[in-house]
Amino acid sequence: MQSLALFPGCLVLQRMPQYEKAARRVLRELGISVESIPHAACCGAPLESFSDKWLHLAAYNMSLAERLGRDVVTLCGNCTNTLLRAKVALGDPSLGHEVNDTLEKIGLRFEGQVHVKHLVQLLAEHLEDVRSKVTRALPIKVAVTHPCQAIRPSEVMHFDDPTQPQAMRRLVALTGAQVVDYDAEQDCCGSTLCLGDEKLGLEAGRLKLASADAADVLVDACGNCQLLLERFQGLLRQSGGIEKTAVLTLPQFLGLAMGIDTDDLGIGPATARELIGSSV
Amino acid sequence: MSKTELDALLKGCTQCGLCREACIVERLGAHSITSFLCGEDDYSSWLCSSCWHCQEVCPQEVDIHSIMMAKRRQEQPPPAHEAILVNALRFGYALPVDETVNELRRLHGLEAVEFVPGEWLEILLPGQRGGRTGG
Repeated sequence: MQSLALFPGCLVLQRMPQYEKAARRVLRELGISVESIPHAACCGAPLESFSDKWLHLAAYNMSLAERLGRDVVTLCGNCTNTLLRAKVALGDPSLGHEVNDTLEKIGLRFEGQVHVKHLVQLLAEHLEDVRSKVTRALPIKVAVTHPCQAIRPSEVMHFDDPTQPQAMRRLVALTGAQVVDYDAEQDCCGSTLCLGDEKLGLEAGRLKLASADAADVLVDACGNCQLLLERFQGLLRQSGGIEKTAVLTLPQFLGLAMGIDTDDLGIGPATARELIGSSV
Repeated sequence: MSKTELDALLKGCTQCGLCREACIVERLGAHSITSFLCGEDDYSSWLCSSCWHCQEVCPQEVDIHSIMMAKRRQEQPPPAHEAILVNALRFGYALPVDETVNELRRLHGLEAVEFVPGEWLEILLPGQRGGRTGG
């Protein structure tokens, strides 16, 4: 059995247990065991705009996973991007020494051996296993939004087409769903932009949902996307032009198609009825 | 960032504007770092969705992210970015942590998490807890 360390990231860890439990449950269905990383901290992303100390936090988290002897699976695009870019940056011997001088004070060392991959990449590598677990066809229309920071920059991420990503589309199509094209598919959700300008960020999210209005459900794979498109949807609707739209994370959606109990996927009864009807 | 350092990072930029076309901030009608790359002064390095699209489409492989980070360290941050920084320094997470995090997790059948010990955070980010980091 493949054994991995789960790095949910601050947002999912603290505010989106539904996404984390669906991810854990779907991975278990695929025979992949995951364990938490004790004492894991923020990936380091919020520090990068202010100082190079972001590398210390990123290396700290990766060194904890190395100590567990497990590779890392992430749920958030931003964490994936930060950890992988830090791994590349720490290939510089002087930076690596500096960081390890700090880590050694708490009995840790970053060797640079750990592999970090986003959940979408992990699932895409188990496409046939996912296919074999689908027991309930979902003949509905799905719009997917990709975790942009988990696929770019391509020179670091080495995963999927960087401007026309396909992995999520392939995974969703395994359920019998129709993956719909929509103009804003490749646009960022606007979540990070909200931190710099709330109005602009919300407008990005509103435009994405408006563009995806032909779909029965929007499927994402990042805590930031879920925050803006699902949690903030009430705010987005106040600006008009969009209807109430179901937004699920990828493991929630795949879990539905695997026949997993909706409670175990953190999907509310109203959304479940809307998507799979009276079979709930 | 000195002019020499900036010039080195900008080496190869032909101001073709592909980054600007890819930028969602520009399409929303505001000015991002891609405006700066196209020779304009009216931009904010903080108006960015962090989607990396601009850098991906750059035919000259300009390291736009590094330019943006260097400029951010010279510009006043928006309050929300600064608040998250303060949380990261104080708690080790982008959001404040207390016992309610594990209570919520328990409600969803998830195991409690062990947070980063405060004394480790002092070592990882020395002298920086509770305040802004230097550049």
